[in-house]
Amino acid sequence: MRNIPGFITLPLALITPAVIVSSAHAEDYLSIAQAQKVLFPNASIFLESAIHLSDEQRKQIKKIAGVRQRNPIQQNWRAEQDGQLLGYFLVDDVIGKHEFISYAAAISPDGKVIGIEILSYRETHGGQIRKPEWRQYFSGKTLNDKFKLNKDIPNISGATLSCRNVTDGVKRLLAIHKIALPQA
Amino acid sequence: MRKTLIATLLSGLFTLPAHADENLFGYIKGAEVLPDGALEFYQVVTQRSDKGVGKYTAYNTETELEYGVSDRFTVKGALKGQAIDTSGLLIDAYMPGDEKYGLKFQGVEIAGKYNFLSPALDDFGLSVTTGLDYLVLDPHSGRDKDTVSIDLELELQKYFMEGQLIWAANFGTEATRAKRKPIDNLPEDFEWPTGMEVEIEFWAGTGLSYRFVPNWFIGVETLYETEYETEVAMERQSLFAGPSLHYGGADYWFTLTYFDQISGGGEGFDGQPDGLHLIEKTEQEIRFKLGLNF
Repeated sequence: MRNIPGFITLPLALITPAVIVSSAHAEDYLSIAQAQKVLFPNASIFLESAIHLSDEQRKQIKKIAGVRQRNPIQQNWRAEQDGQLLGYFLVDDVIGKHEFISYAAAISPDGKVIGIEILSYRETHGGQIRKPEWRQYFSGKTLNDKFKLNKDIPNISGATLSCRNVTDGVKRLLAIHKIALPQA
Repeated sequence: MRKTLIATLLSGLFTLPAHADENLFGYIKGAEVLPDGALEFYQVVTQRSDKGVGKYTAYNTETELEYGVSDRFTVKGALKGQAIDTSGLLIDAYMPGDEKYGLKFQGVEIAGKYNFLSPALDDFGLSVTTGLDYLVLDPHSGRDKDTVSIDLELELQKYFMEGQLIWAANFGTEATRAKRKPIDNLPEDFEWPTGMEVEIEFWAGTGLSYRFVPNWFIGVETLYETEYETEVAMERQSLFAGPSLHYGGADYWFTLTYFDQISGGGEGFDGQPDGLHLIEKTEQEIRFKLGLNF
């Protein structure tokens, strides 16, 4: 590249600090502890552990869910009440249009989605993804469901990629639950 | 000239509210449209420079508004500006001599984009854009020229790796009707046709963009263009390629692209470097795009 003219370097010099400030002010809606309370209100304890997924397990997850499991380590919390397993609480990041979307899913011991909560969402459009009206469509879903956007999960215009990746992500968490988490 | 351009950009930066959407490439368009009711402001500045002989630098600006009429149909309107500084370059019938001016009104454009398939919903994105351009300044010589163009473009887009890697391709055509204004004091024996010209242009381009960290994309894009006219048949063809750096966030986006002419042909002029088309194109272009969302 030859000399970069001033009309390009000046806006870049102005934009770069703004980008840093913008990133630093990304909105987080719920903490992990808050989401755990919302999804498992009766739980008395959350036991944290990390599953180290083998290559074979990641292949199986991709086969079941149709999408890759990027991270070989999956953090999870076992929600219990008086020693009884209520389900698992998993936190996941999926690709949004610009940034990662962090969300949490609660899965019952028999592999049903109890609910999901959006922990952070930083996109221009599609703020409705956080609302219960959209998230309710995941409740009760199992691996026998389609998880197909605009079929059993509605799309949100302007946030299609985000909706699709959260939808695929929840199915992937159900696959992790089936393959790598104790069912009782 | 430079001060005027900087002022134009800065006025765009500081007088509008900051929200935004995304445009990954400088030249290649994706298939996505705005959601119903969304409004976006774009400011595009392109520097075109170097014809191999003499001095040639031109700046083109597009100040544009896009509006989502529905979830599938977006309309846009743009005001175009041009600044030029050329000297020591005389090309018969094309470049009548030195010209220099700051940012001037160049024309307007209106367009509509309809989305048939969404890249995130249908696995493969497909949109069609049609537009109408009216220009009063010739982008090459900088002289007065009334031009009306109608264009049609197909935009294709595919997400890979859940959206971390994005491919887009465009195929388009544009029909143009143009008439130059007469010029006094032309060089001796210099041809400067002022009759009606009719041209048809075709282009095909593709780009690949990879998100290397959240918000930041690095890409490469290429564009082949060719134009035919009644007098000389194939007037020009050129292949440009280059890298793009894109930032997309919730508040705004910007894209910087360097585009170099890899090869070209068609009409030429004495003294120009071989293997390039430099009458209606330059050796390189740099484009900066800024998008803000209302």
